[in-house]
Amino acid sequence: MSAGASQDLATQPITSRRDPRYEVVMYRHVGVEGAHTLDYYRSHGGYEAARKALAEMSPGQVIDEVKASKLRGRGGAGFPTGVKWSFMPPVDGRQRLLVVNADESEPGSFKDRYIMEDDPHQLIEGMIIGCYAIQATKGMIYIRGEYVKGYERLVGAIREARDAGILGRDALGTGIEVDITVHRGAGAYICGEETALMNSLEGLRGNPRLKPPFPAQAGVYGLPTTINNVTTMTSVVHIITRGAAWFASMGTDDSKGTKLYQISGPVKRPGVYELPMGATFRELIYDLAGGPKEAAKGFFPGGSSTPPLPWTDDNLDLPMTYDAMAKAGSMLGTGGVIVIPKEKDIVSAMYNVVRFYAHESCGKCTPCREGIATWLPKMYQKLLAGLGTREDLTLMEEMVRNTRGTAFCPLADACAMPVQASFTWFRDEYEYLVDNGQPMYTKNDWWDA
Amino acid sequence: MKVHINDVELDLPQGTSVIDAIFAAGYDVPYFCSQEYMSPVGACRMCLARIGAPRKDREGGWILDEATGEPKIFTFPTMMATCTTQVMEGMVVDTLSEDVKQVQNGMVEFTLINHPLDCPVCDKGGACELQDRSYEYGSGVSRFEFDKRHQEKHHRLSDLITLDRERCIHCKRCVRYFEEVPGDSVLDFIDRGGHTYIGTLDEGLPSNFTGNITDICPVGALLDTTSRFRGRNWEYQHTRTTGMDDASGSAIMVDGRTGRIERVKAALNPDVNKTWIDDGTRFGHEYVDAADRLETPLVRKNGELQPASWEEAAAFVKDRLAGMSGKDVGIALRADATLEEGVAAKALAEALGTGQLDVAPRPAASVIPAQDPAAFADLATSDGILVVGDVTEEVPIADLRIKDAMRGVTPPEMMAHGVPIADLRLKEHPQLKHDILTVAAPYRVDLMKHAGLAVRYPAGGETALFGALTKLAEGGEEGQAAGAGSLDEGERAALGMGVEDATALVERLKAAENAVVVYGGFVLATKVAADAAAAFAKAVQAKVLILGPMADSYGLELLAVGPSHERYAYPEMLSAARALILSNLDPARDPDRRQALKDKDLLVVHDSFLTETAQVADVVLPATTVFEKDGTTVSLEGRFLSVHAAPVDAGESRDFVGLVGALGEAMGQRLEGRSVRSARRVLRKRFELDPAELPPYGVLYRPKARRQARVAIRTREASEGNLLIVPSMLRIEYLDRNPHLRQLSGGARLRLHPDDAAAQALKGGERVTLRVGGVLRRATVAVDAGLTPGVMLLPCLPDQPVGLEQADLSTLARDDAELEVAG
Repeated sequence: MSAGASQDLATQPITSRRDPRYEVVMYRHVGVEGAHTLDYYRSHGGYEAARKALAEMSPGQVIDEVKASKLRGRGGAGFPTGVKWSFMPPVDGRQRLLVVNADESEPGSFKDRYIMEDDPHQLIEGMIIGCYAIQATKGMIYIRGEYVKGYERLVGAIREARDAGILGRDALGTGIEVDITVHRGAGAYICGEETALMNSLEGLRGNPRLKPPFPAQAGVYGLPTTINNVTTMTSVVHIITRGAAWFASMGTDDSKGTKLYQISGPVKRPGVYELPMGATFRELIYDLAGGPKEAAKGFFPGGSSTPPLPWTDDNLDLPMTYDAMAKAGSMLGTGGVIVIPKEKDIVSAMYNVVRFYAHESCGKCTPCREGIATWLPKMYQKLLAGLGTREDLTLMEEMVRNTRGTAFCPLADACAMPVQASFTWFRDEYEYLVDNGQPMYTKNDWWDA
Repeated sequence: MKVHINDVELDLPQGTSVIDAIFAAGYDVPYFCSQEYMSPVGACRMCLARIGAPRKDREGGWILDEATGEPKIFTFPTMMATCTTQVMEGMVVDTLSEDVKQVQNGMVEFTLINHPLDCPVCDKGGACELQDRSYEYGSGVSRFEFDKRHQEKHHRLSDLITLDRERCIHCKRCVRYFEEVPGDSVLDFIDRGGHTYIGTLDEGLPSNFTGNITDICPVGALLDTTSRFRGRNWEYQHTRTTGMDDASGSAIMVDGRTGRIERVKAALNPDVNKTWIDDGTRFGHEYVDAADRLETPLVRKNGELQPASWEEAAAFVKDRLAGMSGKDVGIALRADATLEEGVAAKALAEALGTGQLDVAPRPAASVIPAQDPAAFADLATSDGILVVGDVTEEVPIADLRIKDAMRGVTPPEMMAHGVPIADLRLKEHPQLKHDILTVAAPYRVDLMKHAGLAVRYPAGGETALFGALTKLAEGGEEGQAAGAGSLDEGERAALGMGVEDATALVERLKAAENAVVVYGGFVLATKVAADAAAAFAKAVQAKVLILGPMADSYGLELLAVGPSHERYAYPEMLSAARALILSNLDPARDPDRRQALKDKDLLVVHDSFLTETAQVADVVLPATTVFEKDGTTVSLEGRFLSVHAAPVDAGESRDFVGLVGALGEAMGQRLEGRSVRSARRVLRKRFELDPAELPPYGVLYRPKARRQARVAIRTREASEGNLLIVPSMLRIEYLDRNPHLRQLSGGARLRLHPDDAAAQALKGGERVTLRVGGVLRRATVAVDAGLTPGVMLLPCLPDQPVGLEQADLSTLARDDAELEVAG
């Protein structure tokens, strides 16, 4: 938003749901009975975008449109999607693949789940467009094993789509071949990391791979592969329907479009909310989720891997964008806001987070396997047992510093960075705990049973 | 490209890893997961360094540092694993600054967190990469005060390897080794995170190359069971020598202590075995220190063998030989005798005036290719390979070199520090080029599972197979493959494959730039088969790799250690001669022969144990084993290699050179080959190289003049038979004194097709005895559906070489007796 001369309201970007120009498009069917069926989807304009892309545009034009929309991947990394698609090598006769990462294991993220359960056709349509754009005849959805209902809905929707000729050798009657299969994961967060996902798809251990080579060069079975998040694909449907300009009319310079944000923790109405990018935390937490039910002291902006921020007006008024979060010393991630209540001890809360990463560490590399998965949780246990010392705090900080940037994949950083932020913003609680042998606030104990 | 490692500037080829650049510059970084000849993975995170490189702008020029005008160095945001990073032009690598040291320190600390403090009881102590790196890069103090994870200790991974799961630092070398080197993926990580451990799905480790993981494991997690708790690494005397278990010429390191051999490890020979040896070579040393090793000569007095001195024994022999003419005397050595022993044998034969001198086992055909010999380097870079036989048992290292060719990565250039530590061309989960390999054998062999084409031909059908293939290769217009029409029905049947496949095979070999045909005992068993194989190789312009039966078969043939006429050969000389001097051979396994040998005027047996033949001898002379000799051997490549004696306490044992020295003294003659030195004078003159000064990786001998064809010997025709003597990685003659290999194998296995087993009412696991070609064999029954009905399999002995034999099923008996002699 530029300062100075008056703006024409019509050309100002849309950054709030309150803006009358804003319309919820991706999430509008979720929660509606029967919305997962093909009939419902088609009666609400479904597959028109796919037909338009396949029949009226070339693959290159689809990529250009997505580039122009400035869509950034919704899986957490925020890489520009059109650019990622253009990394695919020229067609050379080898099978090309579009893989959709539906592993959604980031604590605080659950947007993909409801899309797959209640609006699976939107994902399928997005994949048809995506496959066409990168000239892949096969799409594969890797869905976390725990999403049983989502899996069943997806499989059902794919069956409907095949029967109706929407998928298959002659997709939508355009002569283009596109088909989709669904593969279930088996309970590993690390399989949401794209290279570990590919290994898991191939039936290997879910350990991440070296990059380079990148998936576009050598992906699943060494074939050219593009990997995208579920709601990146659903965004594509609407970009094709309404145009790149429409998409780019929402959001800020660096973060464009409409996005599904999530909010959990002690708020009145936790859930998924679709908002234009650039909307503030305040809008999400208060206007949409009804505000916290009790006093809050901090929040994770985008899932447990993002460093938590203290509960201040300045922070609450920050726009939920990639750049703003980076500037604030955190990350947008998947936009899964987790509210931290004041009365919950931060050391205990962080131990809960650390337990997750310790459990999910794949074990490939030393700093994560020994640091994150072994030493760090034991240090937290020591603190919470009332046996910690100030020296232990220094040791933990040093240990966590040694895992930053040294591990094979970002999982170690995903644990280390929030821990470091908790020391930055809430060190007083750590110190209280070691000095007094008791936590400053209530601690969790549901795992001690 | 120019690379700066700290203060050293190097010029290195593209594709070099940064870690190799660091070592080439004379600096070092710690590493655990990288391993020579295997894919780099960047898992252990020890080799991290601070790296920067210049960048190019959109126009392709370097982005310059405004202050200096030089290309600006952009430091990567995080420390990089140097093993998985390629050098770039102008790269700057820092391994010395404080923050690098701090990360190294931190990684050591992490690695030690769950590692048990087992050093006082761990076999790896003193040769442990973790100990060394902790000392070099760690802080010396542990700050981890909690319980370490507990896992199974001393888990019996196989009969040969003990796994301590707590000690594992998850470098993944063992897992990657199995997948990438022998291609037997038998080991993997199980569970995840801090609970990860190494395990198998199968019972044991079904592979002939398992022991190499005990060499490459950086800690004491994977240990050689034969040497467990046998000594401390700093107590061992290390002797680098050549393995004499097979004809490969693999380099080995023999670790001994207090006059015993405790362990055999692989040593480096980039041209032969790289850093790998097979399990037979590695674990088959226990017999050297068996309790019943002969320590002194024995002379028969009053019907009993009594201890005697060498002088006494030699005088006895000389006396008995007095009055005998040359044709009464026969001398035979086992084919793993050294060249020096061969020189000594020839000198003795000449002194005694006999032409009855031979080496056993000696196949009917020459083990030296008449034209276009292949070396292992050719095999490892070949683009079209035909194997006839079971190379994985016969010369196991050849199997690994074939897999090198299928992996399609040429051997690395040696760097200043030796073999590159992290060769970035090697990737995990390699895709093998199966198409280039065809494997033909009379039964299912292990290498077939990797071959693009597997061919089963009837036992004894090698001549017909090669004949038919040659016809396909030669016929037709302008050298094109002849096609189906040129073969008659019999020839087509002999192929063991469809004509289309055979034609494709021939085409592939012809089109290959570096085709190799590999064959061994089955083909060498008759001269016609060997000639047919050579003719085929010529027709498709392929090089030839011949797998001779034993370590020095090639050398002894080159030295022309052999009879003056076919009828003086071994074993024919056993009936003709009145006096026999036999070294490391045991013909009395044949009970009929045993009786005949008893009646000889003089039977001198030179051996390490009191074998069946020694038991009926007049003089028994204690022999050094292959680990206790200084000498020279020539491998199947024609590579001259040194054999060095390890310090073993073997009483008064001598090799054949020592025997000839003693005999010569008794006879009052200064025989050539009376000492290793005098034998080497002969070798120096004959081969124009100095056996005392051979380089560590040996010398490939390619004589300028074509050697004269020697007398055709053993025109034994293709035999009929119901039992195929097959090559084995295991030395059956020593199996009972190698308890761990014995446990693993269950003894020599008599393999039968289920139909044949049913016909004889035999069940797997039963112990039986059977006379095969006269020789009494003991074996354990194994039922194998991968065989052809009507042909049983039994592993070879020096006195019963590879080939088709007739087993007298009427002599088949269940064996309840306690085994004294294996096989």
